[in-house]
Amino acid sequence: MSMYPSHFAEPSLKKETNRSSASHIPVKAATNDLSDSIFYGELKNKLIKYITKKGNKSLARELLTETFETIKRTQIERLILAGTEKENIIIDSEQLLKNAIENARPLLQLSAIKRGGVKYQVPVPVTEKKSYFLAMKWLLDAAREKDRKVHLPEKLAWEILDAACGQGRVIKKKNDLHRQCESNRAYAHYRWS
Amino acid sequence: MRIPGALYAARGRKPQNEKDVPFQEILPLRLKNTVSGKADSGSDVACLQEMGVLFACLKDNEFVEKYCHKEISQFQKCYKFYMDRKFEAKQTVNQGIVQPGNNLNYKQLNKYMRRFPNPQ
Repeated sequence: MSMYPSHFAEPSLKKETNRSSASHIPVKAATNDLSDSIFYGELKNKLIKYITKKGNKSLARELLTETFETIKRTQIERLILAGTEKENIIIDSEQLLKNAIENARPLLQLSAIKRGGVKYQVPVPVTEKKSYFLAMKWLLDAAREKDRKVHLPEKLAWEILDAACGQGRVIKKKNDLHRQCESNRAYAHYRWS
Repeated sequence: MRIPGALYAARGRKPQNEKDVPFQEILPLRLKNTVSGKADSGSDVACLQEMGVLFACLKDNEFVEKYCHKEISQFQKCYKFYMDRKFEAKQTVNQGIVQPGNNLNYKQLNKYMRRFPNPQ
């Protein structure tokens, strides 16, 4: 729930806006994580927020940077080792993160609905926003489930690399969810909330 | 000796004296001036057919999504359309503009009835 009245416009990152035509429309103040730097990414910002623990955002930012570095190092190593198919290897770690999240996004979700004293797991479509959230959450959960001696960026980098090429635990988790939804499809008409 | 009850049945049972059971108005005997908005929320079941088609495709292709692009996009489009419609309906309800007609939502009805309440 925003404190702004509903006629306030969202702040824009674009430098050339046609404000002159709409100069009478008031604009909300920009949040402090918005930036027009070329390193700014909305997905990246979201992921940083999810990594953050106890409000330590600077640490989260550092961890993500380190993750990107690890990804880039491994990809460059692969590029050097690869003989002929050099075009297929993506080095841009932000692109890889984007691919990983796109691959990990679920289409459906199970929600428990009580009918006649029995809880049914009912498949329900997810909104776009929620699917992005779930994909990032699964990536992070997979990364956090590790040995104590392994550093988070290292594991996260591996999970992102795996998910980006359509393998790994996160993709398996998504497919398992889809499978479960498919086996519970008979309950699909039960949902109401 | 017991007399079978059928002998009394012809005369019937004596009615109770009305003074013995005075009428109590437990709930007020008039309609409320409001209606609840429960029925307007509607059912949340949408895109069942699209979901069925998607499931069939996914099952045929062993849950590999790249072979079901058409079905997936159709399903998501359907759900988005449904959500948009729902959002718009909520907006119009919240605006609460009362217009004449017989197809009113609960907010409009409540406004009407507040203007013309039941006599107390």
